[in-house]
Amino acid sequence: MTTDSAPSAAAADRAHDAVARDVVVRLEGIRKSFGTTEVLHGVDLTVHAGEHVVVFGPSGSGKSTLLRTINLLEEPSAGSVQVLGVEYGPAGGRRRGSAVELRRRVGMVFQQFNLFPHLTALHNVALALRAAKRVGRDDAEERAAHALRQVGLLRFAARYPAELSGGQQQRVAIARALSLDPKVMLFDEPTSALDPELVGEVLGVMRTVAESGMTMVIVTHELNFAREIGDFNVFMDEGVVAESGPRGFFDECTNPRTRQFIAAVL
Amino acid sequence: MAGVVASYDWGLVWTNRNAFLDGLATALEVSAVAIVISVVVGLLLALARMSRPPLSWLAAAYINVFRGVPALVSVIWVYFGWSLVVGINFTVFQAGVIALVLLYGAFISEIYRAALEAIPRGQREAGLALGMSPLRVFVQVVLPQATKIAVPNIGSMFIGMVKDTSTFTVIGLLEVVRVTQNINSVTFQPFPLYTAAAGIYVVVAFAVDFLVRALERGLATPPSGPVARAATARRRRRVEAVVQRVEAVSGAR
Repeated sequence: MTTDSAPSAAAADRAHDAVARDVVVRLEGIRKSFGTTEVLHGVDLTVHAGEHVVVFGPSGSGKSTLLRTINLLEEPSAGSVQVLGVEYGPAGGRRRGSAVELRRRVGMVFQQFNLFPHLTALHNVALALRAAKRVGRDDAEERAAHALRQVGLLRFAARYPAELSGGQQQRVAIARALSLDPKVMLFDEPTSALDPELVGEVLGVMRTVAESGMTMVIVTHELNFAREIGDFNVFMDEGVVAESGPRGFFDECTNPRTRQFIAAVL
Repeated sequence: MAGVVASYDWGLVWTNRNAFLDGLATALEVSAVAIVISVVVGLLLALARMSRPPLSWLAAAYINVFRGVPALVSVIWVYFGWSLVVGINFTVFQAGVIALVLLYGAFISEIYRAALEAIPRGQREAGLALGMSPLRVFVQVVLPQATKIAVPNIGSMFIGMVKDTSTFTVIGLLEVVRVTQNINSVTFQPFPLYTAAAGIYVVVAFAVDFLVRALERGLATPPSGPVARAATARRRRRVEAVVQRVEAVSGAR
């Protein structure tokens, strides 16, 4: 992650790190307009292999839209999207990889879980494997069962989403994304739709995923979790990165807007 | 009143029961073939309507015209008109099926459009985010859910179709009304005969309603109802078998 407002010593550290670590995602000058309203005004973001990047900020600051440009669920109006060295920027101009290929290497977890309600937990995962990885039916089901076991839900494999709690549904969604063996996982406010008592189990699974070394970009309002997990933290406000920094950001940030937001939420 | 009703020859209905049942069978056959084709045509029309102009305009124009055309006119166009203009002669059965598809394709396209639009955007996004192709997302994620929503209304369309076959007497299709007319022309007992015909349509409506409810329960998630429970039990056993294999390899749940 590189922004002008990052503390300079930390920026130097990261510049050093960046040389050593592979870049997984690089966004440069991302702009996004819906109709005549521009919601992203030129945002840069770099995510290195194994890094856990946290993006937070008030509603409408553009953080979800930014996340969704990484797997092209939102096409940026301008700017460059590079994932694993391939350019996926706006159509026209530079060479552009296929969105389907991109998404097979980038997992995503949604605020509303978005499990397929007509399929069991197991077949939610197996469908993804069969469609995206061209795995045969038996093999897909077996790999799906392993994925469910990783999130502690193997015994709920035969249940439909409607028969699972919100927390369990989100864990199935995480298993579904992980089963495709992505190079980076995107989390779009994964706990915002959950009852408070169900947040912990989802954060627990995310912690396990983080410990496995997965590269993660997490949009969240759970600032305690963010403080704990974030290798790099980005505060967005009104369509720009207002301030960003490495571990310790929550105590060391200097922008009054950032401090005000953190004080209000924590 | 009771005496007046009793003075009609209700025995005629029973004596001619085989003719009535043949008429019913014909009406059901035409409608069954037509509903299958209409669902396919309706789905394609719905997709055309939801696409970009000028295709969406053409679809909208078709839908609005043919929702307004009576079945009687539709079958006359197909059976007599097509023969005059193009020189192709359909059998009465074929003409009946085509006439119904022309009308009900339009109705069902609107049913499907509403159902497709009712599927949350997140479903499509989740499929795409998993690296599924847009076609695969449509076929395996959006369409099954939309079809579940559309089924009750498609059932109503089938009831309407069976009733509309009554107008195909004009081309000589031996359906329920044609049978009734034939019997009446020798017995002159229109009241009991046509009442019996109406009774047949009502029974069909009840039967279709029953079948559609069973189908709806089967498509619910989780499914309910005896048939669906049996099918689900099979599916769940399959899942359990996979779970047990994986447990055996990897230890505790």
